[in-house]
Amino acid sequence: MLETAVHITQVLLALGAAGTVYRIYKGPSVLDRVISLDVMLIIVASMMIVDMVINDHQDFILFVVVTAVIGFLGAVAIARYVVVRSPEEVVPDAPAHDPVPFPPAVPVSSSSQQAGEPETPHQPISTPVMPGVGPLEDESTSWFSALARSGFTPKRREGPMPEEAEPESQQPPAPESPQPPEPESQPDSTPKPESTSSPQQQEDRDA
Amino acid sequence: MLESPTADVILDALASVLLVVGGLMSLAAGIGLVRLPDLHSRMHAATKPQVLGLLALLLAAAITWRSWEQVPIVVLAWGLLLLTAPVSAHVVGRSGYRTKHMRRDLLTHDELASAVERISREQPPNRG
Repeated sequence: MLETAVHITQVLLALGAAGTVYRIYKGPSVLDRVISLDVMLIIVASMMIVDMVINDHQDFILFVVVTAVIGFLGAVAIARYVVVRSPEEVVPDAPAHDPVPFPPAVPVSSSSQQAGEPETPHQPISTPVMPGVGPLEDESTSWFSALARSGFTPKRREGPMPEEAEPESQQPPAPESPQPPEPESQPDSTPKPESTSSPQQQEDRDA
Repeated sequence: MLESPTADVILDALASVLLVVGGLMSLAAGIGLVRLPDLHSRMHAATKPQVLGLLALLLAAAITWRSWEQVPIVVLAWGLLLLTAPVSAHVVGRSGYRTKHMRRDLLTHDELASAVERISREQPPNRG
């Protein structure tokens, strides 16, 4: 029973690998190839697991572990350097380029078929351009460059504001000593709240 | 401890089912990669064998080995995949969105576009 299952699994994995190879060969963009290579790596690891099952050994389990890390590193490294698609082929409001929503399943590699593929870049090999920099910038990526150029940092409060100093001094006296930057930053306003708050404190103590 | 023939048969049956399930996940990924129209839908198909398919296959292997000694490294392999698969999918998806490797005519709703618009309105770029 286990041998039958292993044979079925090998056939299924081979079919999956065939689809993956087709997408690696045909894939219109680098990212398609990246995710296809990820799947390919997983299928190779699955093949090693199946081999371990049928031959009853544990030699390849470390390769399975390494496979996970390699796929992760490859995807992250390649996705960093993806070229922005040229703007003339991105028509967001236009109707569908292709009446058939799915690409043909049969791997026909004629030139007319490649023209029908909706995602084929005009220049498959071009110099890597940072997204949002240069003439290729447009609406859907400009927010990132705008955010990067604006130098946005969360605003920090620099020292206590004068509006905050008065209610702090009118509060009942805390056992801890006041913060040292307070009298230095506001040397003129510090005597006032003390003079106004001292009668109130005396009244509170009398009552 | 499990030396009776019925337990062996049951464990073999379980391992067989798990093997076929793992193979089906890879087949689904292959079909999805061929048939689906753009990058993000292909990513949806491509992440199936990464977590669930490999979990099934690793469980089948651990069951057929009949030993607890290999279980920690099996857990390590699957946990490592479980940690790294979302990160790589996130990076690839974000890169695909920013570089427009996607088909907007297939989207029913783009939530990220409205968020991008709101952020760029609140934070106008100071060019110069």
